[in-house]
Amino acid sequence: MSYMFRVGVDVGGTFTDLIAIDEDGNLVCVKVPTTPRAPELGVVEAFKRLLSIEGFEASGASMVSHATTVATNALFGQFGLELPKTALITTKGFRDVVEIGRQRRPEPYNIFFKRPKPLVPRRLRYEVDEKVGPRGEVIKPINPDEVRALAERIRAEGVEAVAIGLINSYMNPKHELEIKRLIVEASPNIFISASSEVSPEYREYERISTTVVNAVLMPIVQRYVENLIEALGKIGINAPLYIMQSSGGLVPARDITSKPASMVESGPASGVVASTFYGSLLGERSIMSFDMGGTTAKAGAVIDGRPETVMEYEVGGSIHKGRVVKGSGYPVRFPFIDLAECGAGGGTIAWVDEGGSLRIGPVSAGAEPGPACYGMGGVNPTITDANLILGRLPDTILGGRMRLNPKLAEKAITEKVAEKLGLSLHEAAYTIIEVANSIMAKILRVVSVERGHDPRGFTMIAFGGAGPMHACALADDLGISKILIPVSPGLFSALGLLISDVRHDLVKAFMEEISLLEPEKVESAFKALEARGLEVLRGEGFTEENVALIRCVEARYVGQSYEIMIPVEAPFTDEADELVGRFHERHEALYGFMAEEEPVELVNIRVTALGLIERPKLRRLKPGGPKPPARSLKGLRDVYLEGPESPIECPVYIRERLKPGNTVDGPLIVEQYDSTTLVHPGWSLTVDPYGNLVIYRG
Amino acid sequence: MRSRVSPLTLEVLRGALTYTAEEMGISLRKSAYSPNIKERMDYSCAIFDREGRLVAQAEHIPVHLGSMAYTVKMCLERFGETLHEGDMLISNDPYIGGTHLPDITLIAPAYHGGRLVAYVANRAHHSDVGGRAPGSLAGDVTELFQEGIIIPPVRLVKGGAIDREIAELIMSNVRTPNVRMGDLRAQVAANNLGVRRIIELADRYGAETLTSAMDAVMDYSERRIRAEIDKIPDGVYEAEDYLEDTGIDEKPVKIRVKVEVKGSNIKFDYTGTDGQVDGPVNAPVGVTISGVYFVLISITDPTIPINDGCFRPVKLIVPEGCILNPKRPAPVAGGNVETSQRNVDVLFKALAKAVPRRVCAAGQGTMNNICVGGLDPDTGKPWTFYETVAGGFGGRYGMDGVDGVHVHMTNTMNTPIEAIEASYPIRFLTYKFRADSGGPGRWRGGCGVERSWVLLAPSATLSIFAERTKISPWGLFGGKPGAKGEYLIRKADGKTIKLRSKCVVKIERGDILIVKTPGGGGYGNPLLRDPNLVLKDVLDGLVSLESARRDYGVVIDPKDMKVNLEETERLRRSMLERTAE
Repeated sequence: MSYMFRVGVDVGGTFTDLIAIDEDGNLVCVKVPTTPRAPELGVVEAFKRLLSIEGFEASGASMVSHATTVATNALFGQFGLELPKTALITTKGFRDVVEIGRQRRPEPYNIFFKRPKPLVPRRLRYEVDEKVGPRGEVIKPINPDEVRALAERIRAEGVEAVAIGLINSYMNPKHELEIKRLIVEASPNIFISASSEVSPEYREYERISTTVVNAVLMPIVQRYVENLIEALGKIGINAPLYIMQSSGGLVPARDITSKPASMVESGPASGVVASTFYGSLLGERSIMSFDMGGTTAKAGAVIDGRPETVMEYEVGGSIHKGRVVKGSGYPVRFPFIDLAECGAGGGTIAWVDEGGSLRIGPVSAGAEPGPACYGMGGVNPTITDANLILGRLPDTILGGRMRLNPKLAEKAITEKVAEKLGLSLHEAAYTIIEVANSIMAKILRVVSVERGHDPRGFTMIAFGGAGPMHACALADDLGISKILIPVSPGLFSALGLLISDVRHDLVKAFMEEISLLEPEKVESAFKALEARGLEVLRGEGFTEENVALIRCVEARYVGQSYEIMIPVEAPFTDEADELVGRFHERHEALYGFMAEEEPVELVNIRVTALGLIERPKLRRLKPGGPKPPARSLKGLRDVYLEGPESPIECPVYIRERLKPGNTVDGPLIVEQYDSTTLVHPGWSLTVDPYGNLVIYRG
Repeated sequence: MRSRVSPLTLEVLRGALTYTAEEMGISLRKSAYSPNIKERMDYSCAIFDREGRLVAQAEHIPVHLGSMAYTVKMCLERFGETLHEGDMLISNDPYIGGTHLPDITLIAPAYHGGRLVAYVANRAHHSDVGGRAPGSLAGDVTELFQEGIIIPPVRLVKGGAIDREIAELIMSNVRTPNVRMGDLRAQVAANNLGVRRIIELADRYGAETLTSAMDAVMDYSERRIRAEIDKIPDGVYEAEDYLEDTGIDEKPVKIRVKVEVKGSNIKFDYTGTDGQVDGPVNAPVGVTISGVYFVLISITDPTIPINDGCFRPVKLIVPEGCILNPKRPAPVAGGNVETSQRNVDVLFKALAKAVPRRVCAAGQGTMNNICVGGLDPDTGKPWTFYETVAGGFGGRYGMDGVDGVHVHMTNTMNTPIEAIEASYPIRFLTYKFRADSGGPGRWRGGCGVERSWVLLAPSATLSIFAERTKISPWGLFGGKPGAKGEYLIRKADGKTIKLRSKCVVKIERGDILIVKTPGGGGYGNPLLRDPNLVLKDVLDGLVSLESARRDYGVVIDPKDMKVNLEETERLRRSMLERTAE
């Protein structure tokens, strides 16, 4: 028989993960190497593997959701991707705004700092003699002849994409749209992006930067999407294709090509989406997602059942202590699922510096040569090597397909760390792990403590190949007492693709004092945004029953230049009075004070339009008793868990053979195809009805 | 005897102490009231050991680097008594380790089981502390007393509660007391958080281990900085540079330094620097120290954790009564913002002789402080807008200077033009790079910027506090100087008035302020610059065709905009011969 099924494909730096789910909730996973120069080839390869499994026929695919790093890679200049020749059109006198940025140095003590290279060179930043005022009033009208001459110049230059970003256009898009029309008249096939359409919010630098990033990505993403659709079509996959955005929402592939800047961090977002879904399944509303792979670890937070989201991100920036360094990348203003990141993954290298201190990263041994114990020529000790020496990792992984060589790990750690620090082998390995853990604990603090959330109330969902190995130690550090390890930790991010809704974010700037506003004006603006959202979703095949519209406003005290987001109900007319009170309360909750005498200003209104996708059912497994079946016990292993002095004897279980209901007290180890879970003493493990491992303290 | 701390505990505690300082900063920023702290991020947080030695500091504002350590030491000494659990010292006295009056520092002890284990401190720039002019940064005062309220080290917090009487005394001397109080409360909260984190660390690792780790962390930084200083050739390196005037007269002020490197030790001797002046450009010694540490960290390794250990190889001689170590009550408002920049210039200039590839040519060397305000014609309410403007960064070995960026001792952000236009009666006309302002060099100095606006209100008061309008930022090793700064008012009738770099003037509706900030100096002989890079700058409009020819010896055909290689080679050869003569 053949199934109807949905597919999620996540193209990562090393692997392309495919996950398919049928109507009964059966999951099938495929992992193939990523093909960086033409990522669609890896995707097709993964599909071919899927279709070779009995019951999965091309015609059964009902929906394909896709996360890709193609946009990010382009901006990082990876894989030799040439950036398309792009021009910027801006207001006369302001062509350098996009390069000056916020006038800050990313690293204050480094006099050899660099600014990110401008995406549009100065010679292609053109000015138009026009000006719109801060209330949207036209101060200097456009001269169409001037713009026509410019359009001709741009055509002659052979520019592929154009960004338009005029001062104050967020209050009145008229001039930008006029310019757009005239440019397209001269070059009908040009890619073009106007700031008032992409990000109609104030702050000229961030808006223009977003528009430039968007314009640069348009040709790249368009080409990629076309290639992918064609390649899938060739193997008979004609199901609708959706792309994951950084917001954690999907968008039909043909629509992403007009707002490609919304997908720059699409892969990592889907891990948090999957965590949110698992949380809802288990009734957990405060979740910390912890994703540790080969080169990095990432932390995200789900508060009150929703992923924490920020409205701006710097693409291509450098990371310091979990956060992107301000001024090191290109600001992009779209909703982003907020992630803290650090360079600590299984392949991250440990080394001793000139002052005799042990350091972890940022250099990683990557997939090649990989950790020393892989025996592929790596000579530097990595986190994986240290885990192996401490007995935490088995000496074969990937279901026996790959052998790890402890001798090579020992040599690397001894020569590069232990001898330099005067430590024994096990002391050195133990130190590497503890230092790596302390670095990863910081990113978990960034998404919890720094935002005023007490981590002790959270459940941690740990995934990625290496996440389950370090989860217990990190949970101990933060005082978290419940951890969930999903069924396939290595493919968990891809699972997020199957449970996302289609999402469109719409915004309109207001910049008016709330007490002076007519509520009807706000209500009709909300209605207009909602109508636009509905229209787009209808065009994508959603009916009104399958649509959710969420409203919120951004407000601030007059004179402040940062905003607070507040959800509001419809219709707005009944809400206007209350809103100010809610703003004061929220301000106090966030910043510890309110200023009731100060006037409050409405900066933006926002509508999130969701096209609801039916959630796949996860299959409940046949329960077993409280005691794990005898055949699930692989054996006993000496593991260094509580210091480098002496190991503790731990039982090792085979995950695939554990049954729901099985309960074991730590210390213990659970091994599976793509991951190893470590349960410390003082913790106990239970298998839940879906086959997830739930680890409790005490 | 010091107990040996394991590498593990050491590395973990080192991270935890720095992170505590960072977390204090996040708390301060979140709960502060004023935009200066919240958005421009003008504050710093740090952790100290029982003896008041700096253990960890978050990377906040360079000008606070080092001077915080000095402040804590001086305040504790001066206060003299023991600070008990729950007490907190406050001070802004520039003559007791401070910088200038707007910078208020709060210091709290951390006790564990009745034993003192550490101090935490934070400093924030308050946008007004009273005195002659709003903003407390007047360019024309002659005594510290005119610059605002002077707070000696006193306990603002006693037994965990803010002392109402001290608070009242301070609040009665500032222009916006509720905002000030809001910011001070945020500072108290940040210190409380720091103390709490220190106690948690002591609980977890033991107070003994924590304090030993602090020693070890400082020793570690000392080892690393010594290893770096060791690489600097031994010798004596001297330089001088000038502040162009004092604000109240036209006299230039000389800063002179002699740097002596011997093994892993380094001495900075300012003997020969001009005496203190009547205008507000005197820099308290804490500010001078910050410049020294900033330069030392910059030319060695900016990744070394900053703490007392970094400063141990340093010996400092700053004669009392000179402009870099003035005596009370000389005014100091501009020492922190302008003199501090010149100090850094002089230090880089001296060290250029020792480590030519690790320094930069002079950057814009000023912060271009601009303050404008008046009465709003619509509401009748007063308005004030303050900003500092970016300029050129100096050329570096192998790298051009950066165009339009803040240099050295400051790193605050600009305010979006759309935000300013929506809130104040001014309309912007330009914000762009100044062509030909970057000093020519093998590696070009960064371009300054032009920022101009027109006043829409009937009238306003404009005050400027800046530098480098008379003496250009210098180039290095054959690199030419960057362009000087200019401040112009263009009246409605087209007449242009040139302003002084430190002034207070009245302006009227329709007047246009044009700020042209200095460019950075070039590095290396411009005749050695790759002609293709010169062409790129010409195509980008940052260097003119004339300058390409005159300064770089690069001949570009204006018809096809290509480099004429033969002509260029001939021209360069003759220019090189001329310089050789």
